[in-house]
Amino acid sequence: MRTTAWLVLTLLTFAAWCSATRAQEPPADDIGQVVKRTQRKMVKVFGATAGRVEGFGTGILVSPDGMIVTAQGVYLDGSQVRVVLADGSEHQATVLKRDRTLQLALLRIERETPDYFDLSRPPEFARGDWILAISNAFKVADHDEPLSVMLGNISLATTIDAQLSARDVAYRGELILIDAITSNPGAAGGAVIDLHGNLIGSIGKIINSSETNTRLNYAIPAPLLAKFVAGTALSAATEATTETANRPVELGIRLLTVGSRRNPAYIDQVTADGPAAKAGLQPDDLIISIGGEKIGSVNEYETAIGKLRAGEEVLLIIKRGSKVLQVPLTPIAKQ
Amino acid sequence: MNHQSPCSSIRLALCRVAACGLLATYLAMATRCGVAQELRLPASNEIRSLQLTARAIREAVIRAEPALVTIVSFGGVKSVAGRIGGIRAQGEGNTTGVVISPDGLVITSTFNFVQRPPIITVITSDGQTRVAELLGQDNTRKICLLKIRDAANLPTLEMVDPASVKVGQWAIALGVGYGDTTPAVSAGIISAKNRIGGKAIQTDAKISPANYGGPLLDLHGRLIGICVPLNPQSQAIGAGVEWYDSGIGFAIPLFGQQALLERLERGEQIEPAFLGVQVVADNDQAGLLIEQVEAGSPAEQGGLKIGERIMSLDGEAVPDIVTLKQLLSRREAGITVALAVRSSESEEIRTVQVTLGTPPRNPQASQIEPPKIR
Repeated sequence: MRTTAWLVLTLLTFAAWCSATRAQEPPADDIGQVVKRTQRKMVKVFGATAGRVEGFGTGILVSPDGMIVTAQGVYLDGSQVRVVLADGSEHQATVLKRDRTLQLALLRIERETPDYFDLSRPPEFARGDWILAISNAFKVADHDEPLSVMLGNISLATTIDAQLSARDVAYRGELILIDAITSNPGAAGGAVIDLHGNLIGSIGKIINSSETNTRLNYAIPAPLLAKFVAGTALSAATEATTETANRPVELGIRLLTVGSRRNPAYIDQVTADGPAAKAGLQPDDLIISIGGEKIGSVNEYETAIGKLRAGEEVLLIIKRGSKVLQVPLTPIAKQ
Repeated sequence: MNHQSPCSSIRLALCRVAACGLLATYLAMATRCGVAQELRLPASNEIRSLQLTARAIREAVIRAEPALVTIVSFGGVKSVAGRIGGIRAQGEGNTTGVVISPDGLVITSTFNFVQRPPIITVITSDGQTRVAELLGQDNTRKICLLKIRDAANLPTLEMVDPASVKVGQWAIALGVGYGDTTPAVSAGIISAKNRIGGKAIQTDAKISPANYGGPLLDLHGRLIGICVPLNPQSQAIGAGVEWYDSGIGFAIPLFGQQALLERLERGEQIEPAFLGVQVVADNDQAGLLIEQVEAGSPAEQGGLKIGERIMSLDGEAVPDIVTLKQLLSRREAGITVALAVRSSESEEIRTVQVTLGTPPRNPQASQIEPPKIR
């Protein structure tokens, strides 16, 4: 009896384990096997070198008829884009389209391949899971040499507004932070896969974080790659950024601007019967957040106010003495 | 996919086995991929063992998260000259802190607090925003203590005795510096112990402004140390930041540091020790020859003279400059040490009591340098 019970229990455990690992790729025993399989789905991309911008990148095959997703960049602007497959064969690529929000480009080579990533079945993952990041960072590999492989973990799936100056990058949207150091020349467009070889995302272009002053190592999630390839990408992402052309609003307060505009946003005066007065704001209150955005200075206050709409309630967080208060407030249109 | 998953074939085989009662075959299968073996992390299946590690990492993070806070400060940061390409200055992002007492003592890195921001708010794991004040600061360890106002019953972290931490064991760094209040995870191993004058533990988990002030955890979610930027070659405020995400990272253990924490709670400033001599080692003779004594320095006040030799510090011989530096780095400003000094003329050795001070302020060094990015 006891043996039977044990057997049933073991079977149940097996069933649970098997359903937990429902992956599109067959489970493998060792990483070497997974990497070998993945290398065949990846390409080296060589384009034009322009000034300090490197003329090479990494790409992934996403269809049996030679479609390749890689990182968008000026290196694709030259007259020729050369793609090298894992077997060392070279192909001229056509640039089909680019997306400046996702910083992705779609290439096409005249070559059929049984080896490609199926973008329709993204794997599940969680913070702390292992990933492999495969790319041609620093152009270490050429011809049929295999790409470089790094082991790391998923740090965080998040959204980031890369408020970047001018040159090169303007990615905004969802991304997957990883702790493998992938923010290096030529790595962008490479694959970030789970331990079974399923595509989690594509290595993003170099970004310096506005929050921490450091480079981010991240992947653009596979579902966004799929949308980009299918041509349904990003109307939402681009629309979300059109906060301009609103009529200016006012809250009915004047800030203390003596000295520098980098000073914290202390309230100096509250207009009688204005929105702030109605909401109970007082002189000497310090505004520390508007609509979830940190307000560290008079300048930041003015930027945040520019994004508000008249009649739409917004939550302010203020500091009064040693208390932190949340104050809902409805701005009015500027007279 | 044409591949038939070995997993489902095992399941099929097992059904057949169970039906036919071929127990021998079943046992063979069970031994090959049974639960027991899974737990013993078979070396032959590296992916499976990595997956179990990932699970342990996730669980450690979940255990530690309630004791983490997001610190947002206002004012106090001068805009740094020479910002790079519009990137924000140090001190403006979110910072991670670790709650070490239920009534709201929070330890963090000095990285974002060197300018003592006048207004500090803390978001605890329950989502509440509260005001906090900055208490003491240890500039030798680059940590500082905050107190959250009106806090009670906050969850804290269990601390690990650094003596039980082993080089090569897993280590997990957490931090909210990317701007999300959910901390980002970075995993690695313990690389070395007793670094930076015995104050720090070294790890290859990626340490950066995103997790300065955050915890370095073991696989059980216990606190090994607080992540800070450090560089053994420099005492400068921003030193160590240039090694961010490089695989050279440091954490300050707090286990058994009750005395230190009490000093910080009293608001004390702990500064690196400074002696004020320039010495040179001479292979022929023991000790270190004093070549220069800085004016107004503790060395001058203690009566050290050019041409004398420093033989030992608190009874420990100083055969070379590195040893003297190490002995000093284990101490701090305000501590009195006994130096054995040999006179330049005679063989006579006298003992000099010197109260260590702080290095003279370099007006240029007071500016915080942002990490250097090409």
